[in-house]
Formats: sequence, structure tokens, C-alpha cells
Amino acid sequence: MSKEKLIDVKNLATYFHTEEGTVKAVDGVSFEIYPGETLGVVGESGCGKSVTSLSIMRLIESPPGKIETGEIIFDNKDLTKSTQKEMRKIRGNDISMIFQEPMTSLNPVYTVGDQIMEAILIHKDVNKKQARQESIDMLTKVGIPLPEQRVDEYPHQLSGGMRQRVMIAMALSCDPQLLIADEPTTALDVTIQAQILELMNGLKDQFGMAIMMITHDLGVIAEVSDRVAVMYAGKIVEYTDVETLYANPKHPYTWGLMHSIPHIEKDVDRLQAIPGSVPNPLDFPQGCKYNTRCPFATDKCREVEPEIEEIEESHQVACWHVDKLEEAKAKEKKEKEKE
Amino acid sequence: MTEERLLEIKNLKKYFPVKAGVFRRTVAHVKAVDDISFHINKGETLGLVGESGCGKSTAGRTILRLLEATEGEITFEGHNLLELDKRELREMRKEMQIIFQDPYASLNPRMTVADIVGEPIDIHGLAANKKERNERVTEILDTVGLGTEYMKRYPHEFSGGQRQRIGVARALAVDPSLIIADEPVSALDVSIQAQVINLLQDLQKDFSLTYLFIAHDLSVVKHISDRVAVMYLGKLVEVADKQKLFDDPKHPYTQSLLSAIPVADPTYKSDRIILEGDVPSPVNPPSGCRFHPRCPYAMEICSEVEPEYKDYGEGHYAACHLLEQE
Repeated sequence: MSKEKLIDVKNLATYFHTEEGTVKAVDGVSFEIYPGETLGVVGESGCGKSVTSLSIMRLIESPPGKIETGEIIFDNKDLTKSTQKEMRKIRGNDISMIFQEPMTSLNPVYTVGDQIMEAILIHKDVNKKQARQESIDMLTKVGIPLPEQRVDEYPHQLSGGMRQRVMIAMALSCDPQLLIADEPTTALDVTIQAQILELMNGLKDQFGMAIMMITHDLGVIAEVSDRVAVMYAGKIVEYTDVETLYANPKHPYTWGLMHSIPHIEKDVDRLQAIPGSVPNPLDFPQGCKYNTRCPFATDKCREVEPEIEEIEESHQVACWHVDKLEEAKAKEKKEKEKE
Repeated sequence: MTEERLLEIKNLKKYFPVKAGVFRRTVAHVKAVDDISFHINKGETLGLVGESGCGKSTAGRTILRLLEATEGEITFEGHNLLELDKRELREMRKEMQIIFQDPYASLNPRMTVADIVGEPIDIHGLAANKKERNERVTEILDTVGLGTEYMKRYPHEFSGGQRQRIGVARALAVDPSLIIADEPVSALDVSIQAQVINLLQDLQKDFSLTYLFIAHDLSVVKHISDRVAVMYLGKLVEVADKQKLFDDPKHPYTQSLLSAIPVADPTYKSDRIILEGDVPSPVNPPSGCRFHPRCPYAMEICSEVEPEYKDYGEGHYAACHLLEQE
């Protein structure tokens, strides 16, 4: 692809130095986001997906957190080297973020209008009256009924879905190039989730921005992403476009995840659970971090950690035994045909 | 399957008073559960789904009399639970247990695993002495996949999935026939959910358990249930055999709920029905059919008359005016 990258993350590592030891929350991840695309980042709790996004925004609390190595190239600048003053210009203006819990990310003592206006007044050269009008326009764009009235209401007067719309209005008010959405629909009901995902997809086209969608939900990822990074224990273990990932997962973890969820469109008698649980970040296993749960693990996996590498065109995987998974898939297919 | 009914709910209501003013007078009621009727057959799993605030958890708790019902009948193995006194109820609770959503909040942090699982055995006097009790605890922990080495440990030493296993073990300790599982896997990671779901299915087979499985995740409910009941704002809108409900949903709310599920397959294109607006407040629910303000097919009658909840053939219950017209 010859397209210019919007953001290029190279070998990012963010550690937390705690009293109990060093937590390698993100340990050498590299990915890029192109203008106008949606990159899905999927993984379970503690895999480092949120820390990755907070590192991009430079919102890691230090101490205990620290970006140890790596570069985050955005607009020809390395954000890891930017000062907090420079970052304030970027945050909310070029890169915005929305969070899982809209109630805790909105300030309860200010009206929603005040909160949307705050960002507009900081980043744009407008007066208060214009900013208020822009806030009302934004509320209209995110589908809030009676925006002239809602603009003067407080967060507690809105429902969960409406609050998330306000968060989106706030995030998009300065026309960002990248929107980072950290589990934006996890706290919402399915019918409201459908509304918000539809809204985000529509606004993405309208504003021409890129989205980094962070979630644990394989359904949401399939629905909104162009490309996907699968994270496990601080690393990206598989990275490719969304169709390839679902049709042909190459990492045993991705494959295991897909088998462990019930699929609404097809019935199985028994789910194939991934044994064990996510390893403790203070005490990661040696070698490949998935080796304690992987059905294909060998001594090599327990000793040496595989690097992520391109095994097919734009399909990166970090696994020593891609061939073993292929054998398992072929066997599974044969069994299915027998039935 | 023998269609013997284990539990039968008739016209169950649970209203919570809303108090206001100096004299804390009751000014309104939250109609959390408002006149629902259904049954659960022996050995089956009934999935109860709905969005937050629809009353599904309240329904589960009211059935166990953890909350006192406002009105209605709950018949369990021939006994009306609402007429039992305290002692009789305690006796009956041996047969009905609950598993909670949050394995972090539902286990006492100051009790060891052996005591958490052993407590119901002590309360119901199911073991003659300490030795027998400990044997029983070991046996149950083994059944749910936790080794005896964990007996002396405290809940904080366990991961979420293991804690939920402890919750399951505690429910199993008294050898119940009905387990109400209230969002038992919602708080767990994706890879752990499957472990707990498989465990629940194995236990059902081994101990011939009956489940009321309350959840908002429709894929999980579809996987584990035999029949599914859909709630909206305190009312049941549809109950049917799982396959029938998912293949041929009759109520417009069920249809939109099913279409809203994100499918883990990027090539899958669904005809999504996006509902307008939010779930209204249960304090002052809409008149007539409670779904009418959001329903894409709402007619005049829907805002005036409440549709009757009835059987549209082979146990496919629904409450919708559209169906009556057909």
C-alpha cells in the first residue's frame, strides 16, 4: 500500500513500575492506521489494548507508568517526545478519545453544552456564542433530539446511550483525524449499541476520520473494522485485514477465541473453551506468552518468544507453529464433511 | 422430553415504591415486574433475556423470595412459595439456588473457599460431622474443576473464572433441583466464558438440574437454552422454543433485538432494524403496549389497549396486536 500513514506506532513498550514488580503492559507493538480506516484492536482484559491507546494520547500516569521504548509518528512528529504543552494541542483537536463509561467521563456539575464548548473554545478561534451554536450543531449531528434544550442539561438527565452520543459530539467537535474509541459500547444495551455503531460509521464517512476501535467483542470488531490487531499479554499476536482474520485465523489464540464464543448464526453442542486463564502480568511465562494455554505448544514455545512476522501478504502472525494450526483446521474440516 | 413442570409462575408482580416528601409517602411505583406468567419444565434451561432495567433480575430474585412479590403465584413442585412461612421457605431453598453475576462481589472476602461452600451444608444440616462436611466440600470443588489445594484459600486469590466456579460450587452444595443463574458469565473474559458455560452444561447433565438462565447476551442464551423468554419493561413479550424464537420471532421487539446482535463474521450482512430512542422509565411506562413508542409497526390501537399475552401455537407465546390481526 502506498497510502500515507496517519499514525505509525513502532515498537511501543509501556511498563508500569509497581512495588510488586514491573508490569509490561505493552511490550513492543507496531501498527499503523491509514486515513479514513477503522483499525480494530481486540483482546481480553489486561492484554494492553487500553494502555496502547492511552500511550498514544500520552495519558499514562507517570510514575508508575512509563513509555520505555518506541515511536509514535503522527504528522511527522514523534508523540513520545512531545511535551505536555504540545500534546494539549493535539488531544481533542487532531486525536480524540471516547471511553467505555460515559457517566464517569463526563463532568456531572457542568452542562453538556459547557463541556462540548470547552474543547471548541480551546482549539478554535471562535467566541462563546459561536461555540454554543457549534455545540448545538454537533448534538444534532450525533442524533440527539431537541438539541437546543439538551445543550443546557446535565449528564445525569441523559440516558446511557445519550451520554455516549454527547461524548462522541465532544470528541468530534474539533474535526479530529483520529478517533480512539475504547470499548465505546460495552456498557450499553444491544439495541443502543446498534444505534451507536451505526452513528459512528456514518460520522466516520462524513468527517473522513480514522477510528481505532478497542473492544473485546469479536462481533463488534467484525462489524466495524477494516483491519484488526489481536492482542495477548502486551503483544500483538496477529495483524491483518478483517476478512482474512475471520476466514483464516493463523494464530492459535485468535483461532481459540473464535471457537470459544457461541455464534448466533450456527449452533454447536459444546463450546471449545481455551483452558486456563490469562497469565499474571507480574509473572509472564517465558517464551511465547500463550504457551500455557496453547494446544500446540512445544519446548521451543516455552523457551523462545516468537517475533511477529509477515507470513502472507499483509498478514502478520507471532507463532512458531502456524503449520500445526493448519493441520488442526484441515482435520476439523474433514470431520465436518464426514457429518 | 417429559414435559413435567418444575416451576410455574402466574401473574407475578413486583412493584417498588417510590417515596418522596417529609412523610416519605409513596408517590409512585416502579413496576419492575408487571404481571408475568411462564413455566419451566424439569431438566430444561429457560433463557430469560432483555435489556438493562427490563426486570429480568428482579423476576429471578422474586421467584426465590429474595424479594417479596407484590402479587401472583409461584408454584414450585406443587407448593405455592408465596404462602410458605420462614421455616418452610428455608427448607424449600435447598431446592432452589442462585448464581450471581459478579464473582468479585458475591463471595465473602473473609471466608475461605471451604467455608463458603460448606456454609449451606451447615445451614441445612446436610453433614453429620466435620469430616463428612469436608469430604462433601472436596467432592463439590472437584466437580466444578477446583482442586482440594484451594480449600484453605480466600476469594481474592482466585481469578474471575475460578471465583465463578466457587459460586457454582456453593449453589451445588445443597444438591438443588433449580438453579437461577443471573448473568453468570457477563463479567468474565471471552475465553473464560466458554469454560463456565461448558461447566454449567456438564453439571446439568450429571445432576439433572433445571436452569433459569438470565442474561443479556443473546448468543450465549441461544447456545445454552431450550426455550427463551424475552422481557421488555416489566412484561414478557415473547416466549418460545429456542429454535422457533430465533428463526421466526413474532414480536417486533424480539425481531429488532435479534437483528441488533453484532455477528462475528465480516461477510455476514444483516437487515438491521435500528430502534429509535431509549427504553422508557418503568415508573411511568407507556400506555397500551409498552413497546409502542419505539415499535416500527405501531398502530393506533397499540397506544390504547394492552395486547393480550397468549399462545400462538405449540407454546409460542407473544403479546402483540399485529399477531391478533393476522
